Amino acid sequence: MKILCLDTSAKTASAAVVEDNRILAESSVNTGLTHSQTVMPMMEGMLSAAKISLQEIDLLAVSHGPGSFTGIRIGIGAVKGMAQGLRKPCLGISTLEGLAYNYRGLDGFVCPVMDARCGQVYTALFQGKDGTVLRLREDEALPIAELETVLAELPEAVTLVGDGAELCFRTMNGKEKLRLAPPQMRLQRASSVGFAAEEMLKTASPLAPGDLMPVYLRLPQAERELLKKEGNAPQRKDDAHVGTGK
Amino acid sequence: MLSFDSHSPAETERFAEELASKLKGGDVLAFKGGLGAGKTTFVRGLARGLGSQSEVSSPTFALVHEYSCTPPLCHFDMYRIHTFDDLYSTGFFDYLDSGGILAVEWSENIDGALPPETITVTITSAGEEQRRIAVEGGEGRF
Repeated sequence: MKILCLDTSAKTASAAVVEDNRILAESSVNTGLTHSQTVMPMMEGMLSAAKISLQEIDLLAVSHGPGSFTGIRIGIGAVKGMAQGLRKPCLGISTLEGLAYNYRGLDGFVCPVMDARCGQVYTALFQGKDGTVLRLREDEALPIAELETVLAELPEAVTLVGDGAELCFRTMNGKEKLRLAPPQMRLQRASSVGFAAEEMLKTASPLAPGDLMPVYLRLPQAERELLKKEGNAPQRKDDAHVGTGK
Repeated sequence: MLSFDSHSPAETERFAEELASKLKGGDVLAFKGGLGAGKTTFVRGLARGLGSQSEVSSPTFALVHEYSCTPPLCHFDMYRIHTFDDLYSTGFFDYLDSGGILAVEWSENIDGALPPETITVTITSAGEEQRRIAVEGGEGRF
């Protein structure tokens, strides 16, 4: 089964075709957040170089979040549109699970972290074991300090992957149990999304394009953090919008 | 700190137009000043200074307007933004990484999410048309 995969959940835009545990083609661009301009020509170029026609594709997989608001919408929109046009099913994969699959085949704890800004990260926890990727914690948004507590309780070393890996590694420095994923394994790869999709298909049914939805994680520290400096918020009256030309 | 006494909207616009030449991609300008202070007038000057021909208006309803110039200018109105989720769904964090210049009206509402190197533009009324404009930050460029 050929799966066309896409990840645009952060700064990297990545596309791939995987089939039965093999990467047939893969292409990534990490030169700025211009996914709306990048992904379609990138996929077209990749498919044409690999001489794979869209008709050969059996399923489309996309990382559905968490991550960049705009990025996720572009990825979901692109896959939804293509799947609809091709009349093929699709599948949404957690961005964090996709990142953990960069480490599939290697034993040990893997903690994907994406920078959610303001000292918070999107994170989860996985364990590589006997060639599989086991999920230990659900996707969630956490302050870095809380994640540190979670990781401190693990019995063995843990590898940080994702665009927040370096940030967390720095913030939690001095912890000998932490490992930073090397650059070639740190960021989103569409092939990892594809492999996670292959695994998921063993137990789950694919989605109709209309049912594919972005998954945003709510950030717990909402309002308090946003208005950090006390008494700085503008004075606002309920009728302020009326009669002021605003 | 750079400070300027403006006597009319036209002067405010000219001041902003000149300031634009000292800005670079990635800069965030946070505006402070109440309704009618002249924030949008200031941004209009910025856009012109950066070479945009677009009409500039307050992005009250769209939340963000993007003006094509070099670097691109992204104009936010945070008046209706109250939570982190609100802010996230404006794409603000994506724009921060886009290499454009961000001009943020009602920045008081997102104080906790502004990057440390943010340039603050405070506009205070000093009469019907008079305004005092204070520009702070920018690593000594102004």
